[in-house]
Amino acid sequence: MKELDPLLHSQLRLAVMSILMNVEEADFVYLKEKTQSTAGNLSVQIDKLSTAGYIIAEKGFVGKKTRTACRVTDKGRRAFEQYVEDLKALLNL
Amino acid sequence: MEEKNITSQESMAIISEMIERSKHHRYLGDGNILLLWGYLTVAVAGLVWLLLAVTHHPAMNWFWFLIWIIGGIATPIMVRKRRDKSGVTTYTDNISNALWSIVGYSAIALTFLCLGFLLAGGKDSWSAMLMLPLIIVGIAEIMQGVVIRERCLVWGGAIGLLCGLFTLCCIAGGVVLAARWFMPMFIIAFAAMMIVPGHVLNSKSRREK
Repeated sequence: MKELDPLLHSQLRLAVMSILMNVEEADFVYLKEKTQSTAGNLSVQIDKLSTAGYIIAEKGFVGKKTRTACRVTDKGRRAFEQYVEDLKALLNL
Repeated sequence: MEEKNITSQESMAIISEMIERSKHHRYLGDGNILLLWGYLTVAVAGLVWLLLAVTHHPAMNWFWFLIWIIGGIATPIMVRKRRDKSGVTTYTDNISNALWSIVGYSAIALTFLCLGFLLAGGKDSWSAMLMLPLIIVGIAEIMQGVVIRERCLVWGGAIGLLCGLFTLCCIAGGVVLAARWFMPMFIIAFAAMMIVPGHVLNSKSRREK
């Protein structure tokens, strides 16, 4: 049986990836609100996904406030699709 | 939500839940850009109509450019504000932006073509500028209505498109676009295309709040 991608097989990272697969781009505040996570934890998980090349996190400014916009990369999209396929196989769906 | 290991069933549940949570919802002020262009166009059309009636001078038609100047400056600001407020850009937003960019660039191209006809050949082709907004805005609005499943946009766009096609037939048939009937038609078409759907969208998003 194939092992699930450990980077995606975690509650918050999977939630972030699921949202980003559904939209074109989402900022940090939106992701925090939708995943109901803490800023610190979300920041760490975004860094992990970004380091793996699954997402791109771009920091910018809106007025005087910083804004981190995240979007999924092709690599991330392929990994997520593979993860869902593996998950289906595991669950016999 | 925390960082913890999960079972396969929990994974499936998270994916479904996040897709559901990030489904596109209406945002308060979704209709504001339509309202801006609608009221702006109606106000400028009214102004040009009044000035033409009072002065009978064709130079008053230059005031039409107020629509492009004011709308062209205000729209990018409003789009950016909306994006920052909602925190998300969806595929639908991208389709809408591309659609309205095509409308904008077509209008700019046509303006230069009309100017070229006037300056190079001494030909007055400005009536094309009265027809184009009705046709191209009408088509763009119908398409947007289909994409976001808003019937008010489809109907509003259809009214505008019909008025535009009627104007096209008048131009092709050599019928003079007299202000006494064209201006009221133009104003009604823009009210139907932009003002009514703009208020409908805002009212729907208020109800969803």
